[in-house]
Parts: sequence; C-alpha cells; structure tokens
Amino acid sequence: MPHRWGMAVDLDRCTGCEACVVACHAENNIPTVGADEAARGRAKHWIRVERYWEGEFPDVRLKFRPVLCQQCDNAPCEPVCPTYASSHTSEGLNAQVYNRCIGTRYCANACSYDVRFFNFFNPVWEKPLHLQLNPDVSVREQGVMEKCTFCVQRINAGKIAAKAEGHEVRDGDISPACVQSCTANALVFGDLNDPDSAVSRLSRSPRGSKLLEDLGTEPKVTYLERDAWHDAGDPRRG
Amino acid sequence: MDRRNFIKTTAAAGASATLAGCGNPETQLIRFIPEEPLFPGIATWKPSICPLCSAGCGLHVRVMDGEAEVVRNGEKGLLKMGLAKKLEGNPQHPISHGKLCARGQAGIQLTYHPDRIRQPLRRTGPRGSGPFQEISWDDAMADVLLRLNAIAAADQQKTLGFLTRRLRGQRNVLISTFLKEFGAPPATLFEVFSDDVLREANRQSFGFEQLPTFDLARSRYVLSFGADFLGTWNSPVAHSVAYGEMRQGRPGVRAKFVQVEPRMSQTGANADEWVPVKPGTEGILALGIAHVIFKANLRTPSAAGRAGDRIDGWNTGLQAYTPEAVEKRTGVATARIERLAREFADNSPAVAIIGGAPLAHTNGIFQALAVNALNALVGSVGEEGGLSFTPHPDTGTAQAGRRGLRELAAEILSSSSSPVQVLFLNDANPVFGTPPAWRVAEALAKVPYIVSFGSFLDETSLIADLILPDHSFLESWVDDVPESGTALSVASVAAPVMRPLHQTRSMPDVVLDIGRQLQRPVVLPWNNYEDMLKAAFAALADKSSNWDKILENGGWWSTASTGPSVNPARVTPAAATLQADPQFDGRAEDYPFHFLPYASQAFLDGSLAHLPWLQELPDVISTAMWSNWVEINPVTARDLGIAQGDAVEVRSVHGTIQAPALISPGIAPDVVAMPVGQGHATYTRYASGRGSNPVSILADLTEPVTGALAWAATRVGIRKLDNAAPTTPLIVFAGALREHEERHR
Repeated sequence: MPHRWGMAVDLDRCTGCEACVVACHAENNIPTVGADEAARGRAKHWIRVERYWEGEFPDVRLKFRPVLCQQCDNAPCEPVCPTYASSHTSEGLNAQVYNRCIGTRYCANACSYDVRFFNFFNPVWEKPLHLQLNPDVSVREQGVMEKCTFCVQRINAGKIAAKAEGHEVRDGDISPACVQSCTANALVFGDLNDPDSAVSRLSRSPRGSKLLEDLGTEPKVTYLERDAWHDAGDPRRG
Repeated sequence: MDRRNFIKTTAAAGASATLAGCGNPETQLIRFIPEEPLFPGIATWKPSICPLCSAGCGLHVRVMDGEAEVVRNGEKGLLKMGLAKKLEGNPQHPISHGKLCARGQAGIQLTYHPDRIRQPLRRTGPRGSGPFQEISWDDAMADVLLRLNAIAAADQQKTLGFLTRRLRGQRNVLISTFLKEFGAPPATLFEVFSDDVLREANRQSFGFEQLPTFDLARSRYVLSFGADFLGTWNSPVAHSVAYGEMRQGRPGVRAKFVQVEPRMSQTGANADEWVPVKPGTEGILALGIAHVIFKANLRTPSAAGRAGDRIDGWNTGLQAYTPEAVEKRTGVATARIERLAREFADNSPAVAIIGGAPLAHTNGIFQALAVNALNALVGSVGEEGGLSFTPHPDTGTAQAGRRGLRELAAEILSSSSSPVQVLFLNDANPVFGTPPAWRVAEALAKVPYIVSFGSFLDETSLIADLILPDHSFLESWVDDVPESGTALSVASVAAPVMRPLHQTRSMPDVVLDIGRQLQRPVVLPWNNYEDMLKAAFAALADKSSNWDKILENGGWWSTASTGPSVNPARVTPAAATLQADPQFDGRAEDYPFHFLPYASQAFLDGSLAHLPWLQELPDVISTAMWSNWVEINPVTARDLGIAQGDAVEVRSVHGTIQAPALISPGIAPDVVAMPVGQGHATYTRYASGRGSNPVSILADLTEPVTGALAWAATRVGIRKLDNAAPTTPLIVFAGALREHEERHR
C-alpha cells in the first residue's frame, strides 16, 4: 500500500516555543528577507505559530496553533496552476515543482491557509552563511512559489534507508524537521494508511478537528484541541 | 601507505617546518586533515553542546563535506572540510532528550555569521570609535604578554581582572586556576538575568545553592509564580519535554497548571488558569495560600521544616496573611486564594515554581523563600512530581572574594588609578546590559587595557584594545556540567565538529598559552584544553565508560538519580526579618506604570540579537519581527490615545526611550512591558541600531542580600509621541489567518 503522509498537532502539548519555525528554516534553506521586505509581508515561514486572544483582561486566554501546509487531499492550490507546478504526489503531498513554476501566484491566492510564499527576489545568504545550506534541498530563485514539503527529502531518505536495510518504513523512522525539534512532542508525523501509526491513532482522537474543514479541502493535518482540567471531585476526571 | 595517510604525514612535516614554535595545535596543518573520511552527500552526526543559555542541552550536529573559502597566513584558499549543517537535540542526553529550542536551532549561525571577527584585532582609533587593525596571533600574543609582564614586574598581579558570563565545567576550573596562580582576584560574573537570588534562597531553604529541577512529567498540579519556564528560564527544553508528558502523557491524568504574573508570558499562555497579580507581591500570595492550607488543617506548619523556619510567623500560622489581607496587597480575590490553596494541597504531587521577574524585586529573597516554604509544606521537595536538585552540579559561583560588576565599577570610578589595569572580557556585554547608574562604560574607560575574547563587535568589545577571537562552539572542545534540568548526574563533553573557519583560537587554549609564555610563567598541568578535559573525565567514578565512549555519547551521565533532596549538612545563618513588600523607583504620581523588561523569546538578554533567523522569527505573543515594542493594556492605550504601532515614549527617572506600541490584552492596566534584546548601538549588521534597550532606563535598585539587580522594580510614565513615526517600526508577520490587518502585500 502506498504511504499517505499526515500530521497530528496536539495543541494541549504545544507551548508556542517556535523551535519548529527555526528548525524548518535550517532544514529547508529558507532565506531571511530582512526588515524592509518583512514589513511588506514577504517573510517566509513554512510553519508559523498563530496565536489567538480570547476574552479581556483579567479573564484572558491565549491559544497557540502551529500552521503549516495542510497537504490537502482536495487542495485548492492544485487545479489553479496553469503549469502543473502545484501537483499531487502519489503519497498525498501537495508538491511544488519549482522548475515548472512560472510565478502566477494563483496557488497562493487559492490557498485557504496562507502557507505559500513567493520569492520576490533571489534569496541572499551573506557569506559564509551559505555554508550552512542543506545540500539535500534546492534553493528557490526569484519568481518561484515555495511551501512546506513535509520535508520530502527526509521522507525519501527514510524510504531509501529502509529499503537498504531490507524492511518497510516503520512508524517513527521519518520525522520532518519541525517534528524532530518539537520540544513538547506536540507534532506527530507518519503514515495515515497505517491504522496503527501514532499519527493515525491521534487523528482519530475525539479532540481532533481539521483547520477550516468545512471548506472541503480535506487536510491531512489534524489539530487536537486543548484539554480541560477537572478537579479531584469531578467525575469526569480520570 | 594510502593517500590520506600520505597527506597527513607530509602535512605534518610541512607544519613543523613553517609553524615551529607555535604552541597551539590548532594552528598546525595536521589538524586540518579530517580524522575520518567524509563522503560527498553523506551526512555524519557528531555530538556537541549548546552554549546559548545556561541549560546545557546536548546536541547532535549534522556534518557534511563542503568547500569553505578560508584565509590562512594571509593567503586565500578553498578548503574541503566537514561543515556543520544542522543542529538537533542529542536523543540520549538527559537535558535535551533529542529536542532543541528555536534559539538552539539558530545557534549554527554563530559559526557562519558574516560579521564574525576572523583574526585578532588591535584598536587603532580612539576607544569606542571603531577602527581596528587585523594583526597576527604572534603580534596579538606579544601585546597581551607585554601588559601582563608589566603588571607582574610591578607586583601588581591583583590588578588583572576577568569579566565573564558564568562559566561551568572545566572552563571554570581553568580560568579560576589561572587567575589564582597569576595572583589575580576571582573572575567577576555578569548576566543581565541572573538567578543568584533563587540560588541564595535555595541555599537557605534546602541547603543547595543551585537552580531547582522540576519533575513536571509526574506532577498533578503546577503553580508557577512568574517563571517563564517553557520559554526562557532555567532549562526550557527539559521543561517542555516534561510539560508535554504532564499534559497528555498519562492516560486519564492531566495536571492543572496555574501561572501567576502581571503580564502573560509564553509560558503563562499555556496555563489552565492565569492569575494576574500586582508586581512584586507573588510571595505574599504564596503565604496567603499557605495560610489557607494551615487554617483548613490540610497541612501543619511544621511539615515545611527548615524552609518554613525561614519565614517570619510561619510556625504561628502566618496570622498576617489572611486571604482578605492578601487580597488587598496582591489584587487576587479572597475566594480565588482559598480555591487555589485547596487545589494545591489536594492534588498531590504538586509543585510551585518561582523565577524571573518576581525575584527581580527588592524583596526577591522573601518571594523565593515563600515559594520554597510552600513547596516544602506540601512535601514536593525531593519527591516524585516535585522539585529536586541535580547531583554534583557546577554552578560556577562558589569562590571567596568574588566581586560583582556593580562593586567593581564603583571601585574603579572611586579610585584615582584603576584597581584593574588589564581586563579580560569573555562572553559578556555589560555596557548593553547594565542600568545607567552603574556607569559601567565610564568605569571601563578608566581601565588602561582591555582584552576581549569576543567573536563579534558589540558595545563592550568595541572599547577593547585587543580582540582575541574565540572559536565558535562547533569549532572548539566544549564541556558542561548542568546545574539543573535533570535528576541525573551529568557531565557533557564534545570534540570540535568542524575545523575553524577563520583564524581564531579557542579561549582556553589561548589562556594556557599566555600562562606558558609569561616571564614568570603560570604553568598549569595541561598542554591544551583537550588534555585537560581528558584528565577531568578520567577521574569520573564510572569505570565502565572510557574516553572514546564518552566522546561518542557526548558526555557521561549516571543511570539513576543519586542526589539527596535536602542537604542537612549545611548550616544556614539566622533568619533576618525580610521585607515582604517590594519597593519601586519613581513616585507613582509621576511614573504611574510598573515597567517590566523581560527576556525575549528570540534574543534572551540580547546576546542573540545578531542571528538573522532569530531577528526574523515572529515573536509568539506579538508576531513581531526585526523590532521591539512596548506592551500596553487596551484600556490604558485607549485612555492615552495610543493605537497599535504608534511611537510611544517610555520615561523613567533614569532615562527615556521610544518604541512602537503593541496593544495586548494579556497585561495588567498598570503595567507596561518590553522585551530585552534589541537596541544595540553596535552588534553586527543584523542588530545594530534596531529598536531601543529597556535596560538603559532601569533604576539601580538591588535585592539587598545578594546584590542582584532588581530589574523589575522601575516605574515609568508613557505617552504617545505625536507626529512621529517609531524609529524602528513594528513589523508583524502578516498572514490571512491571523488577526492583524495585513499590510500591503
């Protein structure tokens, strides 16, 4: 059976530490754009931690939500691409084929989650910062759209390693950079086609929901809501 | 002989011919031949240690081959070498558990930073003006030796000063030994956000002068007083790993987490219940909770033992801390105090945490002792789900005769001839990180000769006369003995993961070299730092580990917790009557707001503001990048006519700064807060001249027992600056799903 990669995000674990954000930069050769371009809304963060205020002081709450490409099964970004640069892989990823992309930015317009980032300029790594670049990931040039790949380079490396060792890919063998760094183990990655994988089990949680799921995009990222505490006398408490 | 060994041999011969007499092994060509073969495109993983904060996380560094442009002996060339590509947590390490925070992930940019100092620099212009000249290591060493020989010849060895961030492990041993053998006083330690108050309180309450370790994973109730333990305080990665388990790691059990603080921190945002409290009254609330626990007969005062004895009136039931009285002083409602007390006593194991701003008040020791007593009362000390102390830590403090920076600066300013003739600076930027009343810049200007080991030109390195740039941590032998974050005994160590990019030298090796080359040599028993580490680790009790194995693992750690929970051997001094109420600088009528500077998520105390990934990291509360801001409650902002992004002037008795306003519901109406980290006058192309520095308007109030800066005790006034745009605008990470209005996109 082919793999179908997905993620679960346990918001009850997420602390908003943003280790995932910098880990993604380091892994995927995401350039910094500088203050001026950032002020124009051109900063690139394939994963970001959104935060939502609820209530007013002093009864105020703040909720974090890491948002990355939801790798939709019914992805709005794909049918709008005139060059098939945004396309669906056999493992369910919303791939972006950089050398097909002609920079129409239709996909970013269509995306419901605002997770696609356009290269308005050629990326700059002031020397010798370029020595850190990950040779497994291509650098994107001016005029090209880029987005989260679920660290497809790590997925491919994991599959090759498993094949070399003569076994199937096991649950936990492959971790995207954000998942590997996640300090509270809030992010869980794996194969949704394997009903026993950790991500499949979490995706079935009663706390689970999809982001903007009524749009019908069929995301493969499941968010598990924050849990509540029940006092000792409360029968709901375990 | 294969090709590799052939090159090694010939290189060694060449090196000994051209570099004879050069004592540092890293300058010899033989070091540039990789010990192990690297295959193009194949990654290897090497252990290292993150040096960015005091947690001491173990790392795994991904190394791949690449070509670096280097300069060696004045000649440019392309060097094929292993290059660090990514930092991850070391999965075996007891602190990091395979995880790494945002700052640690960005630490790799320290090595590849375009503005790193690439070889020794000698100042050529007037101090602080900037011009430096690149010089050779031989000339640089000659300069230092000249100065040190001069003070030794005049029998003025005690005029050698060493100013550093807190050092641990063998670096601490080396510097302490060198200074002692030379005849100099112990090093002066400096950190903006020092934890000395908590260490002193823990010594008094429990007999351990160190930061505590929390067993959050097995706790059922966590009551935190202002500690940003998931973000910037103590051991954030270890805390976060355990926090995830505390929330969802135990089927059917989910702990409650309550955070008490006047401004919602990243940690506070995760709390089940957030309790705003008047600044500096956290300890009073803790005693109010204890009072209720006594009153309801949930525990008896004597259960707290020695930690309770430290508190006035503890053993008579804390009569002054009735919930009604505590409500008046803290602003927390009586019913809530009573409920929190019952929950805290009923849900065992429970643990209380204090750290950060509550200890940075004039009553810091009282606040810490109050929370310590609360922990002892519910029996959380040394117990599962409570707090404990990492066995055999190295806190780097215990040394008689150590002067604080504030005293040192005062001493220099008050004497006609500076008591410090030569000053070494290591990993500390006090010109940026001290309040103006300490007059540190003025004091340093009186020191005749300053030598910095800095890798970057910051405000303090800029006034140095000579810069001897250190290797980055990835290029050095590194070691650490964590103070907290694990119940195991840990000593981390790692070899360099890559060759030096620039003509830098490791600080410990330079110090050893200086010692050897002095006219009256200070000969320490180690040829180089690697030998020193090897000797230190050979002395470890565990015979099952050999040096190679230790290096492969990234350190040595015990398999089971061995530490006692309370150290009965140490005698504590008699309890002094401690001031329970905080004092503030500035009259409330003129300066109506409490000013809360806080360690920023990206930059901590500002030492990481030069890393571009962290500048462009959207702060998780404000989503701001490349900027700093002043957080204001919406009601306060409305009253003062301030809107998001407006330029706001923040004024204390000691100075005025300006920053854009960030309207935030998570801050009390009488408090304004600013992240520390921006506002560098000079700190590489990424941080220079960006934003303003809240430390520059702080009052010189201290906690009297430890002398630590009470950085949360300043009062300020704010006003909107009409017709003025902020000098550094508020830049937020625009995105369709977030609440902020999008800027033109």
